[in-house]
Parts: sequence; C-alpha cells; structure tokens
Amino acid sequence: MNSNKLFKTFVYICLLLLAISILVPVAWVFLASVKENKEFYGNPWSLPQGFYFKNFLDAWNKAGMGEYMLNSVIVTATALVLLLVIALPAAYCLARFNFRGRNILNTAFAAGLFINVNYIVVPIFLMLKDGDTFLKNLFGGGFLLNNLFVLALVYASTALPFTIYLLRSYFVSLPFEFEEAGYIDGASYFKTMVKIIFPMARPSIITVILFNFLSFWNEYIVSLTLLSAAGGSKTLPVGLINLMQGQQAKAQYGVMYAGLVLVMLPTLILYVAVQKKLTEGMTVGGVKG
Amino acid sequence: MKKHKRQNSFIALCVAPATLLFFIFMVYPTIDVFRMSFFERGAYSPTENYVGLQNFGVLIKDTRFIVACQNTIFLIVAVTIVTFALALFFAACLTREKVRGNSIFRVVFYIPNILSVVVISGVFSAIYDTKNGLLNSLLSIFSGKAVSVLWKSEELVVISIAIAMVWQAIGYYMVMYMASMSAVPESLYESAGLDGADKLTQFFNITLPLIWTNIRTTLTFFIISTINMAFLFVKAMTSGGPNGASEVVLSFMYGQKDAGLYGYSMAAGVVIFLFSFALSALVNKATEREVLQY
Amino acid sequence: MLKRILSLIISALLITGLFAGCGEKEQMDKKLKVAALSSGYEETMPGMWQEICDAFEKATGIKTELTLEKNLEDVIGASMQGGDYPDVVLLATGREAGLTEQLIKDKNLTELTDVLDMTIPGENVKVKDKLSGGFTESVATNPYGDGKTYLMPMFYSPCGLFYNKGLFKEKGWEVPETWDEMWALGEKAKAENIALFTYPTTGYFDSFFFSLMYAVGGPEFFDKVTNYEKGVWETEEGKTFIDIVTKLASYTNKKTPSQANDQDFSKNQLMVMQNEALFMPNGTWVVGEMADAVAADGFEWGMTALPAVAAGGDSYAYTWMEQIWVPKGAKNQKDAKTFISYMYSDEAAGIFAKRNAVQPIKDVSKLLSEDNKLFYSVYENGAKAAIGNFAAYKSVAGLGNPADYFFAPINSLVSGNITKEQYVNDIIKATDKMRENLINK
Repeated sequence: MNSNKLFKTFVYICLLLLAISILVPVAWVFLASVKENKEFYGNPWSLPQGFYFKNFLDAWNKAGMGEYMLNSVIVTATALVLLLVIALPAAYCLARFNFRGRNILNTAFAAGLFINVNYIVVPIFLMLKDGDTFLKNLFGGGFLLNNLFVLALVYASTALPFTIYLLRSYFVSLPFEFEEAGYIDGASYFKTMVKIIFPMARPSIITVILFNFLSFWNEYIVSLTLLSAAGGSKTLPVGLINLMQGQQAKAQYGVMYAGLVLVMLPTLILYVAVQKKLTEGMTVGGVKG
Repeated sequence: MKKHKRQNSFIALCVAPATLLFFIFMVYPTIDVFRMSFFERGAYSPTENYVGLQNFGVLIKDTRFIVACQNTIFLIVAVTIVTFALALFFAACLTREKVRGNSIFRVVFYIPNILSVVVISGVFSAIYDTKNGLLNSLLSIFSGKAVSVLWKSEELVVISIAIAMVWQAIGYYMVMYMASMSAVPESLYESAGLDGADKLTQFFNITLPLIWTNIRTTLTFFIISTINMAFLFVKAMTSGGPNGASEVVLSFMYGQKDAGLYGYSMAAGVVIFLFSFALSALVNKATEREVLQY
Repeated sequence: MLKRILSLIISALLITGLFAGCGEKEQMDKKLKVAALSSGYEETMPGMWQEICDAFEKATGIKTELTLEKNLEDVIGASMQGGDYPDVVLLATGREAGLTEQLIKDKNLTELTDVLDMTIPGENVKVKDKLSGGFTESVATNPYGDGKTYLMPMFYSPCGLFYNKGLFKEKGWEVPETWDEMWALGEKAKAENIALFTYPTTGYFDSFFFSLMYAVGGPEFFDKVTNYEKGVWETEEGKTFIDIVTKLASYTNKKTPSQANDQDFSKNQLMVMQNEALFMPNGTWVVGEMADAVAADGFEWGMTALPAVAAGGDSYAYTWMEQIWVPKGAKNQKDAKTFISYMYSDEAAGIFAKRNAVQPIKDVSKLLSEDNKLFYSVYENGAKAAIGNFAAYKSVAGLGNPADYFFAPINSLVSGNITKEQYVNDIIKATDKMRENLINK
C-alpha cells in the first residue's frame, strides 16, 4: 500500500511539473506585456511595477498589429467560409453516393493527408508568381500574390483533405433513412442535403471549424511567402515575427510581449470557451498533419 | 432516367469545386516539386533549363544540407520518442489513477497546442535568454551560483528546439490517448489486479496493446508533422543559426528558394518527400501487430 | 452570424477593389517624372519627397510628378518594360530585386558625368565642388570602371565600430588606432571581465570586412578579394586579414554566437551598452534602434573607423550609399539632370537632413543632430571612405552567398568549433566557384 502512495505522489509531482512548465511561461508573457521597458533588465521573476498599457497601444498602432489583426480576421473568416462551402457538399457526395471516380477521389483526398502545405509552398508561390507575370503582360497588373483572398483560397484548398476525411467519416455513419424521408417529401437533392443532413452534422462541422480556425489563425509560412511585398498587408503571426526580428525598433520588449499576447489571446479565449468540444472532436480528427 | 441525370449533375456540382481546388493547389504543386528538381530556373526570368540529376548530385555533397538532414533525423527520433513516452505516461496517469483536478490538468496540457509557433518561439526566447532567461535564472536559484548556459549555441541549439517541440506536442497526443484509454473496459484491469499484476505490467500488457492501432496511426502522422514543425520552430527561433547549426531540411529548402535557386530548392523538397513517405511506410510496417479487441 | 461575416467580407473586398482602381495616374509628358523608393527615411516621417519636388519647382519652375513606392521595382519595372520610363529614379544597387543592377548590365543608364560640371540651381557652386571627396570614384557610381559616372551618390550612412564612450573616459582608455593597440586593449579589458568584441549577427560583418580589406591592402586588395581572385589568401595581405579576423574572434564575448540570430541580436548590441563588450560593428541606425534600451551608467555612443594595420597606416570606415540615376529611355533628360544637380543644394540637403537622410556634400554635418554629427564626422577625423561590395556571380546550386563563407563561420570560430585553416580552406574552395561564375567577366 505504501508503494502505491509513493507512486501516486510521484504522479502528482510529474503532473504538476508539466502544468507549471506550461502555465508559468504563458503567464509570464502576460505579465511581461504590461511591464515598462526598463523592468526587463533586472530579475526576470519580478512582478510588474504597474500596469503599463501603453505597450498594447504601441503594438496596436505603431507596430501595425491592429491592421494585421484585421487582415488575419478577414483571411481566417474567408478561408473558413470557402472551406465549408466547398468541402461539405463534396464530403457528403463522396460518402453517400455511388458514382464513377468516387474511389479514385477518395484515395486522392486520403493521400492528400500526407502532403503538408509547407512541402509545396514553393511551387504554389511560383505558380502564382508566373500567373502574375502572365496577367501583367495581358492587363498590366497581377493580383495573385499579395492578395488576402488568394491566401484564404490556398488555406481552404490545402485544408480540404483533412476536412473532407473528417466530414466523410461522419456522413458514412448516418443511416440512409434520413434522405429517403426527404426524397419522399419531394425535396430535391440539394434541399435534402442542406436542410436535413447538414444540421445533423453540426458537431462535426464545429470540430472542422475549430481545428481549421486554429491552423489558419496560427499559420505563418504560407502567409510569409504569398504576402511578400515589403509594405503590403501581413497577417498577425507574420507581423509578430517582424516585431520580434528587428524590422521595427528593437529592444522594446514590452511592446513585443504585448504583440505576443495579442496573437494568442483570441485563441486562448476560444479555447476556454470550447475546450470540451475541441478535445472531444480531436478523437475523430486524430490525423492532424 | 431523368432522376439519374439530376443526381449526376448534383454530384458533379458538389464534387467539382473541391476536386478542382485540390488539383490546382495540392496535386499540381506536388508534381511540380518533382518536375522542377530536374530543372534550374533564373530568379528573375521564368526560363527553365533541364539539368537532369545535377541538382541532386550537388545536394548530396552540400555540407549544409547534410547537417540539415542530420538535424531533421535527430529531431524526428528524439521528439517522437520523448513526446510519445510522456504523452502515454500522462494519459495513463490521468485515466487510470484517480487524480484530483483531472480535467484541469487536461485543459492546461493542451494549451501549447493552440498557440502559434511564432508565439511559442517568443515564449522560449524569454525562457532561453542567457542573461535574464527564465531557465538560467531558475537553474541559478537551485544551484546557488550564477548559471549561464548558452541554450542557442552551436552545441545545444538543436536540443533546445527539441525541448520546445516536445512542450508543444505532449498535450495534443495525451488528450488523444486519454480518449482511447478510457474506452478500455475497467473489468480487464480488475481481473488483472486480482491476478497480482502491478501497474507497470497492466500498462504494458493491457493498455498499450489495446490502443496500439491508435498509436500506430498517430505515429505515422506525427513523423510527417515533426518534419514540418521542426521547420516552423527553426524559422521562428533561430533562422537556422548559428552558422547553420540548427538548419533542418525544410528550412534549407526554403532558404534556397529565397536565394532564387528554385530547382535546387525543389531537389531538397523531393528528398524530404521521399524520406517522409519511406519513413512512414517503414514505421507502419515495423509497428504492425495483431489487432486486439476488447 | 455567418451571413454577417460574409457581407462584411464582401464589403471589405469591394472597398479594396475600389481603392485599387484609384491608382491610375494621368499621363502628362510635360511633367518631370520622378520615381523614388519609399524607404525608412520616408516611412518614419512622410512627405520628404513631396517637399523636395515642391521646392524644386519653386527653384526652377519645372513641374514634377512623383511616384513613391515601397516596391518601386515592381511598379516601374513593369512600366519600363512597356516603354514608359520615369525620368529620374532613386533606387540603390544591392536590393533584392536587383533592378538597378539589371539596367547597369544592359547599359540602359544615361551617362551623368556632365552633371558634375553643372551649377546647382539657386547656388553658384558646381556639383563636383560641393560633393564630398571619394563618392564618385567607385564602382557604385562608375559601374564600368571607365571613369564615367552613370549613377550619382545620394544618402549615405557611415559604418564603423561602436563603443561606449563613457566607459573609455571612466577607465582612461584610448580608442585604439592600430590593431596592435586593439589587442593590448583586449588584454586590459579581459582583466576587468569585459570582452573586446561582439557583433549583432554575422551579417553585420559586411561593412567591417570591406573596411578591413581597405585597411589591410588598400583598394587593390579590396578589388582582389571582392572579385575572388585566385591566390589572394596566400599573399601577405590575405594572411594578415585572416589573422586579424581569427584573433578578433578569440577576443569575442562567448555569449555572442548563441544570440547572433534575427530574434536575439539586440541582446548582443546591448552588451556594448552594458559594458560586457567594448566594440561592435554597426551602422548609425543602432542609436535609434536601441533608444529605449537601458544602458550602464554614464553610457554614451561613440563610433570609430577601423584601426590601421600598422602605425601611420590608413584607417577606413565603410559607408552605405544610395544612388539616383536616369534611364536611357527617359524623355526629359535635361530636366532630369537639373533635378539631380538640385539634390546637392543646401535647401534639398536640409529637407533630407530633417529625416536623418544625409547627402554626401561638404559641411553637411552642420545640418545634423548631435549624435549624427559625431558619426558623420568620422571622415573629417582622418578616416577614408570605403565603398563597394562583393562582385555579383550567377547563382549556382550548392554555392551560397559570400556571407555564408566569409561571415557566418565566425560564429564557429568564436565557439572554437572550426580552426583558422578550415575557415580559410572553405573560403578558397567557395571563391574558386564564385570566380568561375562571375557575371562581368
């Protein structure tokens, strides 16, 4: 019995250590974001002497994080809407209808799970760049690179395999009676899909939205590559990298940590609100790339 | 007949946009990775010259690429082993032991997974700072003398990145294994307990075999994900430095793209593609076991 | 909810589309078309170039039309391909897109040697008498090496070794004038637990290396190294050069390499401010960059040129420089040259100086702020200006930038992971390949 108790203590210590290693740095960043610049040169464990909110104002206005935030909201929202509009009907058909080419498509999308967008970001960039050159010769201006909408389209497209895989596995599990009832009532295929099936798939749809929101919001390599113009629009993570890496005035630690907080706050709030759904949903989406 | 036609056009309408986008932004670029590795194209002119296998020939002799490969392999092995061991351990603790604050731990452990890698690199920049860093000051307090470990020096930088990656990944996999572990029927453990099997034996003889399918799938995807995550961490934390000591294959590939050597960059891309597929297949084969049912 | 988001997105897209449509400009051939890169100077305090154009019109009566873009290459590059040329362009060499280099290569620039003999509008001085010495003699302005000027020098910014003046005063140390004095100071500092040297990232060695090349062997040695000449590292100068670099690495603060990345480099700059290292190579911008950092008591920025190799030898300070030029296809070439000559007037220099953009003209230091006065006076204190860059070579697979071989390994030299011999051998191997691929062979 005694060894059992010892083991339990050991378990608690391990759990606490990990929890501390996560909570302390994150909390530290929050505290650091309201510290004045001179407070960064002493003991790192000292508490902030006051609530220096100017860091956030500077990050928001001077460092452009406000503008980047808006860009990120636009890109993430557009990408999510595009993704749902495109993936839902496709996943539904791939799950519920028998048609020629279905198996090939299913295999292709499943294979897509293994392709990480960062493997192919260079050809995507070149494709858009060549497209721009072509458009320039034709109309005198290209719009494919440095375009928030195109970035959102790339996000949505590269999220298709995961999303279709997840939704399809749900649609497959539904009995066919639902649709048959709809058809008997004289509803069209489209109406049946939208009015009967999609509402039932709500939990899966929410999972899809949550996971893709996190990945779109946090993504920075594709954004860095496709929004490359020196003074052009940036998304929040890329703006944060610029803030951390010397493009702005350096040694402004308070502003930097305020920027850090601005990027993680929306995801943290969302997480606190839906953490149960998120962790439940991920057992289905176990293949996150 | 009419119904059939209607059904077909409905299916086409539903499937076409997804298929089209999937081909434009995933299939075509993937094929292009392989095609372009045989070409060289100028940074400012889109003309391409066929150079055969020359890019690969240069690649295997490029010392920076070799270092990048070594780092990538080290990170895959080290991060995978440590993450899986810890994730399984913590998942077992939280499901099998009656731990108070169970759900709080779960919520906290998952936090790093929802943060952007850029944010994590900012957090670890504060942790790894030589002079006023959280880690060094903590070590100083415990050892009683001033510690100044150079966490981002040539010797330690890859290990420092590995620690950050494990920190980020544990929670996600732990939550995943908790779900599958809680599906294992309690009665199995009870009868094993009556037979006198201790916790370690129970873990290796009951828990592990029963969630093995889950471990296998996640392992395959984890390897692919690690190749990618290593790039994200390196790019945000060290930019490959000092003197290329923390370069990984994808960051090498991206660096060559920045230098305008698209063909060469894609040759590195081909290597990482083939490597990750081969490794996934290998792991999949090596972890093959008879599927157990409860 | 979804509907609202959608309508928001659509309206956002519409608005951006509308603005994009407003960008068209009316074509007026009468006006002098000025195209300038909107760089840091313009960004921090907008309106600089508009002010210049207005003042120019007042002085000469010539109307101008200004294009001001951060991605100037994209904007004028496309229009020049379509045959629409700006008359005057401010765009330096050495930018990523390399548009200026491309025009140089294609011999698409108008010769500007005659601008030197023009009288500055509103003043009775010729351009060549107003320009500071040495600025129209390098490849940066005379790209073909034939004594003819095709690009005129604009904003410049000296680089050197930055240090804490207050600390030197407090300790009674002298700023070394030769490398031998430098090493002696290194020993003295070591006794006080201060390293002699640090650097933000190895990228900052560019200006340092160029200055050192000049200091070691004058312009001849600089040309040899930057053109990757064979055997240059076996010469006396070559050996001296490598000796100085490796010895300096051994005097560098050991923390430096682990912080020499894009994210932590300001911590290395901080070392100088907090008396953990004496010198670092840097540019004048560091003062603004570190304005909010907390320094040691009595800290005061100082900047010095690189020490001479032997007593009585030349000391050099590298300078960054931007250029202004006239494309061959420009329609108003005469007015364009008048515009360039106006750039060196006191009036124009004053407008630029308000944004810390400094023109290479005599007595410019009286227009400057206190800090800048100090830095720009480095040439008045006897240092020579070093200008130039590594010669361009075709990008080849497996062959990186000169920085990869000359600068980056210094991190490993400092941490002791490579030897001097390895360092030199890698340079020799790489420069052999660079030489084979030189563009202007």
